[in-house]
Amino acid sequence: MHKNASLTLSALIMVVSGYGIIAATAWPWKAALFPLVIGVPLFALAAAEALWILFGADPASEEARDFQLSIGKDTLRRTLAATGWIFAFFVAIVLLGFPIAIPLFVFLYLKLQGREGWGISIAITLGTWGVFYGLFDLLLHLPFPSGWLFEWFGSS
Amino acid sequence: MLEALLEGLVLVLQWKALAFMLLGILLGFWVGLLPGLGGATTLALMLPFVYTMQPVEAFAFLLGMHSVTATTGDITSVLFGVPGEAASAATVIDGYAMAKKGEAGRALGAALASSLVGALVGAVALAAAIPVVRPLVLTFGSPELLMLGLVGIAFIAALSSPGGRGMLRGFLAGALGLFLATIGQDPQAGVARYALGTLYLWQGLDLVPVLVGLFAIPEIIDLVVRGTSIASAAPAGKLSHGAFEGVKDTFRHFWLTIRCSLIGTFIGIMPGMGGAVAQWMAYGHATHSARNAEERRGFGQGDVRGVLGPGAANNSKEGGSLIPTIAFGVPGSTAMAILLGGFYLLGLVPGPDMLSKHLPVTFSMVWTIVIANVVTVIACFALLNKLARLTTVRGSLLIPVILVLVFIGSYTSNNHYGDLVVTLLFGAVGYLMVLAGWPRAPLVLGLVVGKIVENNLYISMARYEAAWLTRPVVLVLIAITVAVIVYPLFQARRRAAAARA
Repeated sequence: MHKNASLTLSALIMVVSGYGIIAATAWPWKAALFPLVIGVPLFALAAAEALWILFGADPASEEARDFQLSIGKDTLRRTLAATGWIFAFFVAIVLLGFPIAIPLFVFLYLKLQGREGWGISIAITLGTWGVFYGLFDLLLHLPFPSGWLFEWFGSS
Repeated sequence: MLEALLEGLVLVLQWKALAFMLLGILLGFWVGLLPGLGGATTLALMLPFVYTMQPVEAFAFLLGMHSVTATTGDITSVLFGVPGEAASAATVIDGYAMAKKGEAGRALGAALASSLVGALVGAVALAAAIPVVRPLVLTFGSPELLMLGLVGIAFIAALSSPGGRGMLRGFLAGALGLFLATIGQDPQAGVARYALGTLYLWQGLDLVPVLVGLFAIPEIIDLVVRGTSIASAAPAGKLSHGAFEGVKDTFRHFWLTIRCSLIGTFIGIMPGMGGAVAQWMAYGHATHSARNAEERRGFGQGDVRGVLGPGAANNSKEGGSLIPTIAFGVPGSTAMAILLGGFYLLGLVPGPDMLSKHLPVTFSMVWTIVIANVVTVIACFALLNKLARLTTVRGSLLIPVILVLVFIGSYTSNNHYGDLVVTLLFGAVGYLMVLAGWPRAPLVLGLVVGKIVENNLYISMARYEAAWLTRPVVLVLIAITVAVIVYPLFQARRRAAAARA
């Protein structure tokens, strides 16, 4: 898993930096200097990492000083569920806008994923929406557009 | 100088700045307590909200919040063995051992009191460095600033992962950050680089959505995977018992606390090294300060000195890490890299101006660190018992609220849906990096200093051609960069040889 992730990252970086180098060759030197100065070693480092994964040893002690992801019996299912909820929230924001997506997401997450009771789900939903509306709308006057659905149906 | 110091205090005590500081302290208080939501992540989340603030108010808010997260992070380290922050991990070893022995209150008292001493030492170091740093800053031209940026990346890349393989990944992440910084219209020729045909990318990648995605998303996913409360095994009983004994311990081992504070300040000044390094070095010093093997044996079994050292260092590093951030625009840690973003959002440019024209603003930061820590320690002592219960809140109740903050925080940086896409993309990158064991800090540093490095590279090349490489300070910085890369490799080789022998 850990090796695959490292290989995926290395391959992605090689593709991105390779594209970056080719694109930069078409620009004037002022614009191309830095992307080339960084892009070439970036490609080389990513290639070295990929080769190390494929042909070298993989000492776990040389991992970053960072937090470790939890591994359990249900890891994959829970990771997919978490990713699904995050993506669903994003889609809801785009389609419905923040003012509707926030209470909808908070309530559905608490009820369906958290399996919380009606009382606590409604209380947290109202609290979150109240803070959002009070702080960002009433106090800070930040513009939150209505969602694409409303624009498509001409009711925004 | 004294006038600016007093002006800084007056500025920070104005009702609006003070109110924002208290709000920041309140947020930092919670963030420090809740593992899974780091101080750097919260700084990134709160960055969009400073757009409309004055610089003093904004820094009172951000620094007030950030400077208390390390203090309250120690609380869960002691009570549950769960570090509230990455920079509170070393406190776990002896703090949790003390808690298991029924000395949780004493350990917490020691952690809080040493944190306060550390914060005060860091703030004094920051104030004292201002007159010394000013002439130094003025002698730094484009070639030196370019090299400073590279030294910072070399430091963080070399130290964020151990060994040669870890270093390769560190430099890979740093170079990726520098490369991502080239996205957008270039400042010299006006070419829209890697904009993918969208207007959104013409201004480059915004720091806030990148940071929010990179740090918050992997931690939220992990919290869902765990499916539990953040810290479910809290020891029962009155946790504040013996807290005053811990305060007395701080003064009983006062010079150790001061020495560890100075270690933290020094580590903070070094670009690229953060609290995680500072606390372990301080813990190592506390261990070495034991006079004999008998005394040293207590460490790991619940020796209060093992709590005092890291507690002092992880707070004193804040003042220290502000020194290169303010004076050179070179952040000492991820949090400082994000704070550096705050400077630019507010139209302030780190460097000579912060030490002359904006000196009262700089001193207001010193005062913010002092006041925020004093307020936090007093509040902690008053609330010690109730605080512990906060970490037993079910993860399922926290996750939707944190996600709302993530998306609002990202969106408000440009009021563009593109920000949300960037957050999701970097969330995936951050998750993969954690999964692969790659360090994320060099990527952030690369992205933050990328523009500075590019501008100074262009100016250096245009003004001096290749001769900029022979300037004395540049040569010294090149030597430091080489040493930073070579020394850990040399150390690792020596350790391996010793192990074989």
